[in-house]
Amino acid sequence: METKKLNKITALWIVAILVLFILSIILGIIMRLNQGELIKIQPPTFYADMTTHGVTMIGIWFVAGMAAVNYFMERYVKTSYTANMFAMVMTVIGVVMLWLSTLVGNFHAGWTFLYPLPFKIMWSTWATPLFLWSIGVFGIGWFVWTISLMAAMLKKYSMSQVLAWQHFGKKDPEVSTPPFVLISMISLIGVLTCLIAAVILLILLFAEYYSGGTFKNDALLIKNLTYFFGHTIANEMLYLGLAVIYELFPEVSGRPKLKTTWYVALAWNLTLFFVLAAFFHHLYMDFVQPEGLQIIGQLASYLASLPSSGVTVFSIIVVVFRNKINWSLTNSLFFIGIVGWVVGGVGAVIDATISNNFILHNTLWVPAHFHTYNAMGNVLFSLGFFHWFSKYATNHSLPDKYSFVKLAILIIGGVGFLLAFYIAGADSVPRRYSTYPKGLESAKTLAAVGGVFAIVYLTGILSFFVNISKRCLNVLFQRS
Amino acid sequence: MFKRTFSTLLIILLISNYNSIANNLYDKQDWREEEGIYTRIYDAKIKLISGEQTSIHQLAAKKPLIVALVFTRCAGVCNPLLLQLKENIQIILRKNQYKFSVLVLSFDPLDSLKDMQNLAYRFNLLNEPNWELAVVDSISSMTKSVNFFPVWDMRKKQYDHDALLVGVNTQGYITKKLIGLRSADEISLLISDINNVYRPSYRLPTPANMFTCFNYDPKTGKNTPGWGLAFIALPALLTVGILAFLRLRGKYHS
Ligand code: HEM
Repeated sequence: METKKLNKITALWIVAILVLFILSIILGIIMRLNQGELIKIQPPTFYADMTTHGVTMIGIWFVAGMAAVNYFMERYVKTSYTANMFAMVMTVIGVVMLWLSTLVGNFHAGWTFLYPLPFKIMWSTWATPLFLWSIGVFGIGWFVWTISLMAAMLKKYSMSQVLAWQHFGKKDPEVSTPPFVLISMISLIGVLTCLIAAVILLILLFAEYYSGGTFKNDALLIKNLTYFFGHTIANEMLYLGLAVIYELFPEVSGRPKLKTTWYVALAWNLTLFFVLAAFFHHLYMDFVQPEGLQIIGQLASYLASLPSSGVTVFSIIVVVFRNKINWSLTNSLFFIGIVGWVVGGVGAVIDATISNNFILHNTLWVPAHFHTYNAMGNVLFSLGFFHWFSKYATNHSLPDKYSFVKLAILIIGGVGFLLAFYIAGADSVPRRYSTYPKGLESAKTLAAVGGVFAIVYLTGILSFFVNISKRCLNVLFQRS
Repeated sequence: MFKRTFSTLLIILLISNYNSIANNLYDKQDWREEEGIYTRIYDAKIKLISGEQTSIHQLAAKKPLIVALVFTRCAGVCNPLLLQLKENIQIILRKNQYKFSVLVLSFDPLDSLKDMQNLAYRFNLLNEPNWELAVVDSISSMTKSVNFFPVWDMRKKQYDHDALLVGVNTQGYITKKLIGLRSADEISLLISDINNVYRPSYRLPTPANMFTCFNYDPKTGKNTPGWGLAFIALPALLTVGILAFLRLRGKYHS
């Protein structure tokens, strides 16, 4: 793809993502302040906001990872501009449909739209099909993009090379697979699988919706498919961010490129297989699910996360330990992001352990851990890339101003916001409550405190937004 | 040509309607225990045989209720329903520590308090602490709220109705229903349920459920894998296929 075209589309992605991010954070703050009883919104509005916030956040941080991977992939193989543009158009259409269905049609079944909620219509009747079609539109755009990136890689690398199997047992194989290519491919395979699960899920839901009651779904099957899609995409988007870190972290730190070793190859291959079975941990409370699958869920949760996070942390330590590092805003964001990812990951593994899940299931512990590796993990990975890209593409070489202040605001806001979730979760406060009933006074206070810290986090994000988007708009409107 | 098109259309029409026909038959033959669950029972005024006036919600607020619907001239299922219920409750009380009352309500407007007292006497329930018998004020609103629709048979001078037990929790919500004469185990589950204790239960298959993960057979109590499970494996299988195709295509082009 021509560099200018690639720069322009990447800049467009960045601006769109940041605008949607800010709007979604505002929805998040409204929810938290309502739970803290500092403001008052009606429960259906709360749940419509929650649905909009959840789907938009997952969607934008997924496409953020994809846009960054597509950008660096061009260093190794030729990628398709048409597929990238098609995904952009479909994402924009999907977002419009989604926001109409939730904010105008008041669809509010949550980001997991767990069956049979979409069909228990408590909103405009048109909102259910519009919401489901919006997911379909996202799915088609992202499916085409994923396939096109995979096809580009598989033109150059064989299946075993792209998965770095030649690194097992050999120290210096003839063809060395760059870690970026390996992790991107592993993530894209997972993305493809979960998008297929989404297609099957949507076909089954549409079959019920349009059959007029003659076809009914099996709730257990739909729940399995929903989490196959939802849990997997939420994980894969993190891995896309990590692929970028493997590529960019040493580069901006002034260190040699990271190389694939046998243990990096092994850890990521384990992730490939086990992340696809980890979603079973969402069904621990479903007694009809056979016990074997529950045990697979727990083991897969460990095996998908521990090796890959182990080797990633090890690789980052290798880069920074006793080495002179050119610390900049980009690698600082990456570094803090890795810490957030690991902390959130530990929270997730605690929850994925069956004996703990009996206590933590559907408490605020769940939003606590997934907000940690998203708001203080994946968001920072992408923000690091956005910052780097906006400077690189505009040949901006001046040092960053107020980096320390910006990072401090982001960390203080983020940590305070997350702690409020963790403390409430450990105290068994339920998640997805619009307001808390009598007897949960501490939950209200924590929500209010969390909301205030979220405003601090938003301030930090706005400070990044101004500079990054200004530079990205310059890239967009540059004459070719 | 016309014949072939017509017969193809006919086959498509039949296949697409099979489920709906089967479903309607199923609905007619079967009363549905899941109908009206988590709705509140109508808060009718009732008069207990002790002479006390109260309402269903007030009584439920003291202890969760098992409501049994009968009429005193009943020559059908009412007697076996009450006899078996009494026997089962005695078995349950030996093991179950949960609180509950059985409220026997007449749905026949001709029944008087005296008739209900006689009924209690006949079944030896006058001194049973867990039993209350009563007549009710607004019969039709109450029966409608629990989806119980007795039909008067002029010829037999009897109501045609099913044996129904309705579990009501302390807030007046119907949390479980049992239709027909049921075992002590099932009534014990109902008692746990009205005490807000979680009890697993299996959905019974209907012709409209084509792709189920597991099929529960209530006769054997066994759960066998169903076609739905294949859908969970399908994404991974299709991905392998797509990868193989992309690689072959890539090899060909390069
Ligand atoms: C400061 C920024 C953010 C704020 C204030 C915020 C706030 C919230 C709140 C209050 C909830 C509902 C919690 C509950 O269950 O009671 C929520 C749910 C959620 N948030 Fe965030 N959030 C933020 C950032 C993010 C980010 C970066 C992501 C990225 C993926 C994200 C994804 C989600 C998802 C998926 C849900 C679940 C929605 C559902 O249950 O349907 N949030 N958020």
